Order: sequence, then C-alpha cells, then structure tokens
Amino acid sequence: MEDLIGQGRAAIDMIIDPDSFREGEVGELSITDEDFGASAVIGTAELDGEICTIIASDAMTANPKFPVVYAGIIGLEEGYKMAQAVYHSIKADKDKPLAEKRSIVLIVDTPGNGAGKHEEIFGMNKSTGAYQMALADARKVGHPIVAIVVGRAISGGFLCHGLQADHVLSLGPKFNTMIHVMPITSISRITKLDIEWLQELAENNPVFAAGPDYFYKLGGVEELIDSIELIRERVVAHVAEVRTKKLAGRDDELGPWGRGALSVERGSRVARSKVIQTMDDEFAAVAERYLS
Amino acid sequence: MSSKWENIQKRSFLESEARTRALGLVDPGTFTELAGPRHRISSPHLPLLGEAVEFDDGIVTGVGLIGKKPVFVASQEGRFIGGAVGEVHGAKLANIVRMARKAYDEMLASNPDLPEEKRPAVIISFDTGGVRLHEANAGLLAHAEVMDQFQDCKGKVPIIALIGSRVGCFGGMGFVAAASDVIIMSQFGRLGLTGPEVIEEEMGKDEFDASDRALVYRTTGGRHKYIMGDCNVLVADSIAAFRGALQEVLGKLYAEIAEMSCIGSLEKIQYQLKLVDLCVETAPKDAKDVWKSAGNENPDDLTDMPLDEFLTTVKRLTDRY
Repeated sequence: MEDLIGQGRAAIDMIIDPDSFREGEVGELSITDEDFGASAVIGTAELDGEICTIIASDAMTANPKFPVVYAGIIGLEEGYKMAQAVYHSIKADKDKPLAEKRSIVLIVDTPGNGAGKHEEIFGMNKSTGAYQMALADARKVGHPIVAIVVGRAISGGFLCHGLQADHVLSLGPKFNTMIHVMPITSISRITKLDIEWLQELAENNPVFAAGPDYFYKLGGVEELIDSIELIRERVVAHVAEVRTKKLAGRDDELGPWGRGALSVERGSRVARSKVIQTMDDEFAAVAERYLS
Repeated sequence: MSSKWENIQKRSFLESEARTRALGLVDPGTFTELAGPRHRISSPHLPLLGEAVEFDDGIVTGVGLIGKKPVFVASQEGRFIGGAVGEVHGAKLANIVRMARKAYDEMLASNPDLPEEKRPAVIISFDTGGVRLHEANAGLLAHAEVMDQFQDCKGKVPIIALIGSRVGCFGGMGFVAAASDVIIMSQFGRLGLTGPEVIEEEMGKDEFDASDRALVYRTTGGRHKYIMGDCNVLVADSIAAFRGALQEVLGKLYAEIAEMSCIGSLEKIQYQLKLVDLCVETAPKDAKDVWKSAGNENPDDLTDMPLDEFLTTVKRLTDRY
C-alpha cells in the first residue's frame, strides 16, 4: 500500500487490536441508523488492551441526505455525531480516575467541512464548532487524545478533526499526506501573487506552504511517521506519553497551547511568543486598576 | 465623561473601525490597549510577500471596565486584509482570552466570594473571514489555540461575540463565534463558515447565486441567525445599541449566560440535531422556508420591516422546537 488516502476504515484496523471495533457504540451511545452522519465513523475499540474511542472519516461513503457531504467531508450530521462520540466518552468515564480515562484516537483524512446552502442556513459552524469544543473538553478532563493524519487534513477540516488533540501525528509527505489551508495555486489566485515566486519562497518559509513537514516545523504536528507499519506503535506510544503528562499535571505542554511552545523549540512562530509576553507584561503594570 | 466617547456612542457599528468599537464598548476612559501599535508588533511574514503591514496586525486587544467588571476586549479590523487571522493577530486573540481566565483564577483564588459583578468577561468584536492566506498555517494553528482558550473559560469567564461589521464572521472564526456564550448581532452582521462564492462554486449558480445580496443576507445575516436561535440578541446598528445589549447580558449571573450558548454540551448538541432533522424533513429551498417552519406565516415581510417591528413580530425556531 503506497498511501492511505481515502482509506479511513482500513487505517482503523491497522491501529486497533484485531477485531475489537464496535462501530456506532460509545458508552451509552448506540447509533443504529446507517445513514446518520454516514461519512463519519465512530465507535469503541481496544488499543493495546485498553478501551479507546475511535473517530474517523469514511471517504467511500457519502451522506445521502446532504449532497455536499462526500469524499470524507464533515457535514452537519457528521460534526454532531463526532461530538456525540466525544461527550459519551466523557460521560462513560465520568467517575474514573485520571489514569483510567479512555483515550480518543482521531484518524484524519478529510478535505473539510460541508460547504452548502443547507449547511449555512442551519449553521455548519455550530456542528464542527461543537466537535472542537467537545474534544477540548475531553482533553481537559483527562482523556488522552491523539490524532494521526493518514491522508488529507485540509483547513477547517483539520481544525475540527485533529488540531484539538493532545498530540498530532502525521504520515510523512511520501505517503501523499496533505496538510494545508489551501494549495499554493489557490493562494496565488486569491492573493494575486505570482505562483512561481510563491513556490520559491515556500521552500524556506513554513508559514504558508502546503505539507506535513511544514506543519512539523511550525510545531503543528508533534511527530512525522515514515512507515505505515509504524502507525500503531507510535499511536500507542503517544497515548502513553500524553497520559503520563496529564498525570503529572503538565497539561500546558499538550494540545494547541503545547504546540505553540513546540514551535519555539523548532525555531518558528517567534512573533507569537513576543506578542504574548508583551501583553502579559503590559497588563501586569496596569492590572491593579482593573482587578479587585 | 469625554465628549469623544459620547460621540462614538451614536456612530454606526458597521462603519466603525476596530479601535473605535473597542473604546466605545467599555466605560468612558477605561480602555487600555495591550500590544498596541506603539509596540509595532506587525506580521513578520507579510513583508516577505511584498505586502504592507499594520502595527496592530488588524486587531485591537485590551482591557476596560463595564461597571465594576473587568472586560478583556478583542476587536478585529476588516479593513486590513479582511480582518484575516495571521500569527500575530491570532496570538493576540488567543492571549486576551487566556488573560481573562488567568485573571479570574487569580482573583477567585484570593477571594472565593468575589461578587459576580467584579468577575472578568471577554468581548470579541468580529470582522473577519478567518485564516490569512499569506501565513495560512500559522493562522490555522492560532484558531485552534483560540478554541482551546475558550474551553478553559467554561464555568468561569463569559465570552460575548459581537457581529455587525463589514466582513462579518466567516471561516474558522465562525467556529469561534459559535463557541461563544452569547452572540449579539445587528441586521448587517453576517455569520457563517463558508463564504457565498465557495457555496456557489460547490453547488452551482442555480442553487446559490453569490452575487444575490439579499440571498446572502437571508442565509447568514443577523435577522436569519436571530430566527435560527444562533444570535441571542439582535440590536440596532450603533455602538450604543451593542453596548446596551452587552451591559444587559453582563448583568446576568454566569450560569444564566452560559445557558444561552448554542453548543458546548451533549444536551445542547442533541437539540441542534433536532434542527438538522428539520432540515432533512423540510429540505428548504431558501432560508425563508425555515422562517415559515418557525411559524412566520409571511416570511417575505420579515426582510424589510423596521427592526422594532421585526423584533415584536418574528417567531423564532427556538420558540417552536
């Protein structure tokens, strides 16, 4: 197999313990309607002998009710279905100690959110917004969340399904993985900047170029994996590492904020740190006037 | 009270620049800008592409007071690259939210009985299309940081979204607005995820004509979002009107404010799924079909009637479902 694009279901089987996937079931949640959010796959599995929640996209199954939801796009139903899987994970482990909160594994291969009329009328921003909030919630109550990009992680799709994880992993570029907001051709068209010039600049500037290696440099991806065979092992290792950090109260090193710090280690997003420091210092000087 | 502040109150929110909005929303003379233009922290990426910079990177961040309440304010400037979020802009937005939560933690740690009227709040005046393409990767990562900081505020600091500026609130910032506790809009405000041009590209001009201004407003505008329940308060287009609504919301107890949010819990998304079912059942051709489902017999009348009349006449989806 050269790459895993469009192979969300196959990727699930590669990662979890053999024959352990119970699709549609997470805690009290049991989805029996096959058409409901058909492009999203959720369920419970065992990962190295431990229970975990799996959330993936199914690029092969379109949602028959929403014409813009195909090829792994996250639509109105899909976003809420994914959010349900997260909230039911939280609910199921509500009384469990930190060490026993189930992990949540996000298998990422999505070109984005549903872009249609019904989606805008009813508020697509709420659906995948809800999913992001659910993931952040689960992360903060102690569930280790690891995302693995196996195919496409495009713009808003990656924001919803990936970037709220504690750790983000990606197969390297030789597996045709795509992480970007827009390909350079589109950036060129919209910004009216010359495409060849942009391509040349992109080689040294990770900030707008498309590809997992650029996101790695920006601290947006914790680890690049250069073999499909290694995915399972690395996901298991990252779940364990994340759990150890949570138990040690080192939550600030995880999730989006942790990846901000990672960018500093990797020598990028330097302005980000400067802004934060400036604001904090400036406020400290006037805080007394505002805080009683 | 300075006369300048008084003058700002009467101004159109739609026409006001980010700094004017920030100054006018809080009590007179109380706004302190943080990481403002004098620090000259502009985008390090735009010059590489030959683009001009602004010393505030298109967003004003600061702190002010509304009554006794410290309010942490972010106000986006749509006139600068469509209010798009780059590295600096995004860091300012994420950090202002983080500062409010940190202030809350510190204040409550030293005084657990601190009255609600003195507890911090976050106000964001949106004017943005989401990620800035010139520094798209950093912009995208910043969006995730903002959502992360929002979640840290849950149970502590209310976040109020104001939408009534030229660009509206689209792209990844549409998620951020949806994740706020309360959304205040004017009828000129627009909120969504995908801009009209992209929908037209995806569905074809017959299904959605992006050049049809009325259609665009029916689908994403303040009146529509109010009917849907996504916008909690619909106000007139003046800074005073937005400020008035803000004062009223911030006068409520935190628990009441948190209850106003559209998403953020299993119960809330179960309700949203009922609306998605309604979408499937009724397959609306136009937003007006949904207005009818909400109980508005003559949806055509709703677009042009004066705001006061609209507010007393309109039936909202939340009344019926």
